Amino acid sequence: MRRADYLIKRVAFAIVTVFVAITLNFFLFRVLPGDAVRNLSRVPRASEEFRHSLEVQFGLDKPVWAQYLIYLRELFHGNMGVSFSDQQPVWNNLREALANTIPMAALGTVIAVAIGIVTGVLSAWRRGKTSDHVSTNLAIAFYSFPTQWLALVVLIYLSEWFPSHGMTDPFLIDPTPWEHLVDVLRHMALPSLVFALTLYGEYTLIVRSAMLETLGEDYVLTARAKGLPQRRIVVRHAFRNALLPTTTLIALSLGYIVAGAILIETVFSWPGIGNAVYQAVTERDYPMLQGAFLVLTVSVVFFNLLADLLYFKLDPRITE
Amino acid sequence: MGMRVDLGEEIADLQGPGPGRGRTWLGRNWLWRVLSQSLQAKIGLAVLLFFVAIAVLAPWIMPYDVHTPVGPPYEPPSWEHPLGLDDGGIDMVSLLIQGGRVSLVVGFAATLVAMVIGGGIGIIAGYFGGRSDSILMRITDYFLVIPDLPLAIIIAAVWGASLSHLIFVIALLLWTTTARIVRAQVKSGRERVYVMRARSLGASDARIIFRHVLPQIGPLLVATVVLTIAVAIFDETALTFLGLGDPTAITWGSIIEFAFLRTAISAGAWWAVIPPGLCVAFVIMGCFWFGRAIEDALNPRLDVSYLSPRTFRVRPLPGTEPETG
Amino acid sequence: MSLLEVRDLHVWFDLPDGGQLHAVQGVTLGVDAGERIGLVGESGCGKTTTVLAILGLLPPSATVAGDVQFEGESIRRDVGETVQPRRWKDISMVFQGAMNARNPVKTTEAQITEPMEFHGTAEGAKARRIAGELLEMVGIPAAAGSRYPHEFSGGMRQRAALAMALACGPKVLLADEPTTALDVMVQAQILELLTGLAHDLGLALVLVTHDLPVVAQVCERAAVMYAGEIVETGRMDDLFHAPRHPYTRLLFAATPDLYGEEDVASIPGAPPRLDREIVGCPFRERCDRAFERCRDERPALLPLGADRMAACHLNDDPVAAGFAHR
Repeated sequence: MRRADYLIKRVAFAIVTVFVAITLNFFLFRVLPGDAVRNLSRVPRASEEFRHSLEVQFGLDKPVWAQYLIYLRELFHGNMGVSFSDQQPVWNNLREALANTIPMAALGTVIAVAIGIVTGVLSAWRRGKTSDHVSTNLAIAFYSFPTQWLALVVLIYLSEWFPSHGMTDPFLIDPTPWEHLVDVLRHMALPSLVFALTLYGEYTLIVRSAMLETLGEDYVLTARAKGLPQRRIVVRHAFRNALLPTTTLIALSLGYIVAGAILIETVFSWPGIGNAVYQAVTERDYPMLQGAFLVLTVSVVFFNLLADLLYFKLDPRITE
Repeated sequence: MGMRVDLGEEIADLQGPGPGRGRTWLGRNWLWRVLSQSLQAKIGLAVLLFFVAIAVLAPWIMPYDVHTPVGPPYEPPSWEHPLGLDDGGIDMVSLLIQGGRVSLVVGFAATLVAMVIGGGIGIIAGYFGGRSDSILMRITDYFLVIPDLPLAIIIAAVWGASLSHLIFVIALLLWTTTARIVRAQVKSGRERVYVMRARSLGASDARIIFRHVLPQIGPLLVATVVLTIAVAIFDETALTFLGLGDPTAITWGSIIEFAFLRTAISAGAWWAVIPPGLCVAFVIMGCFWFGRAIEDALNPRLDVSYLSPRTFRVRPLPGTEPETG
Repeated sequence: MSLLEVRDLHVWFDLPDGGQLHAVQGVTLGVDAGERIGLVGESGCGKTTTVLAILGLLPPSATVAGDVQFEGESIRRDVGETVQPRRWKDISMVFQGAMNARNPVKTTEAQITEPMEFHGTAEGAKARRIAGELLEMVGIPAAAGSRYPHEFSGGMRQRAALAMALACGPKVLLADEPTTALDVMVQAQILELLTGLAHDLGLALVLVTHDLPVVAQVCERAAVMYAGEIVETGRMDDLFHAPRHPYTRLLFAATPDLYGEEDVASIPGAPPRLDREIVGCPFRERCDRAFERCRDERPALLPLGADRMAACHLNDDPVAAGFAHR
């Protein structure tokens, strides 16, 4: 019974947060100088009728609270306005961009998690020795490198072997699905690599700490007394327990990946949501900016909720 | 990339409650003690002081002027210019020194603002508790979930680019974590005996806060400040890179940005790209080492481990032959 | 030749500032099948370390000398190879504070069957059946096997730890403070259980504790440890009524008597430091019968008749020392 309570509370919190973000989004553009909302309808190079229809649609002639309600209504219909740059609906652009970012980010994250877990476990086991110090400080170093700088460094040294711009080769005409896939993967190599390098450091530190905690628990001593070999204890007992806090922290960090995505995609011109934000900023494409911000916020909230649910599922102790 | 001030706190929390885990106040000369006991602290502080010294001494040690070209664009490193020239023919070393100055100032200033706001809120929430606490914490909770960089981008984009705006935006990203950390510390500090005694003697809240609570959370405040500076500098490079910094200012972030925009890569001019990033990384690492060393000293952990690659040693009984086999 | 024998065991621990702590100083003891012996002493006297050394569970900061023999075969020599197969199968252990001895994310049943499957004594459905029987044997319903450790009360956790220890049918059971932190009623039940099991299964039991009534209830013989060495061994009755070492006498006297006939006396002072060599008798400072010889010469553990040993100079002249009666 209590478990259901917990679930409901977390979901409710998530929904409220999204709401707060939407509201913040709305007011941000009206409060700050530049009166960006007026710009919503001032789509450049659009016809007068189009602009007028936008104005009516978003109720720009009505008082603020009415505008807010209209904004909400439109939002629930998936209408986030029209991009200044290409006159396309914002949501369509964002959807496509998101679909481009996800595989690249997912690949990088999976690699980072794998490396992080291995180095974290090994560091904890060899705690205090040179290998521990080396791997821990290496993790700290990569955590400290500015993401865009790391991307540039990778670009300098690895662009001989992998393409460094965009997602596809513009000169590849009429590719077969297989050729297309390979092409995309080759383009994905560098950005995903940078993703992995920037992320893994944090995971190493997290896993190492969680492992250190479990290695000092009594049941580890019991397992040794049972004659179980060390490697088995590390993996099946200690790590299994360390997995609990590790997964939640990792899931939590996923929400913050968006920052890195922006920087990496800009350097590699990867047509994802990060790049969309960058383009929107340089071109002062406010509807896109607003829309992207909302999407990114929702993804953070989503991953936080995911983290909560994961922990819930993995730990038999949450019944109090 | 989602650098967090409180990563150390979260990691410490992973070690869980248990014997030997508790926040301890280190005493008056805590800084000295931390430094003498931890190599990590020494190195971290040394790195930080090095960069601060360079920033302070900049006007006297800068070899060339940062606005005057002294050679062709992207000239490779040489004896006169150990790090070569940038695309405008300006000496890289001088650029780095100047950039360091501004970056550090921005980092410190943003941290200061964040600490004042976040610290203030944290102290109020932690000390007075009750309704003000829950309200303030609710607000912070919501802010925490909103992704930093996009928010900063939007504000900076709409507001316009200048150094002071930049400082404010970065501070905006940082205050929530500092508020949470400070609040937790103030709460535990409040329950201490001498604080309660002071209250019963009729001391005013302000007095108690300044004379008792603040000194107590001193070490942690310092650690938090240092770690926040790291994140501030990180954020500065990110925001500047995206074109949201002050176009007239030279910071490490702007050096990287220009290298990117002005095709340093295709020109093969690694000296325009790698040094500024390394400087940023070293400052951040120094902050991390120093800040974490303080945090570790505050949270002593039991060093027990029941597994280890080595095993115990065996030796022959005194007076017997060495064992064979 | 006993089933399990410890011969002249020494353990040193490295200290952070470079020295070594001589935690166990030449301990010799043995236990036969079906025997129940106690290892008694204050906390810090080295009894837990001794028992850990038997199973080779000491940390890397330890150095060991001496021998441990099981069924005549030395098992202490090579840590990895020789001891591991014996762990749990021949010798198993119940730990101090069994509260956390079990993995919180695995079911109780899984933790009982795991050593069985690893050592090859049983597997699959058969293993689960045996696990259920073990749980019943210690007084827990077999269905509780699918529960997690945190769902058990203190007494039940101890019982479960016991069941887990018996999983591979060991011949020797080492129990380190099995009843600390349990309330008196539960304590009595667990002790009864231990005694019963040892009797029914023919187990050799080594019970380590600082709590004398516990030893008195369960064990036939006991060894008293002080400052890393054994100072007296003998049958429980003898130790209680006719102790041959001042420490034993004071120890038993310090136990509250349920009938209130004796005075409760605690022993003033503290045990000696073990990081430097001890000159003379280690108990000298707190002994009420110490004399000159005690200061210079360390008493050896000497036999005093059938099944009796003690390390005290007073035994050289028992009548004068008043050891003849209590």
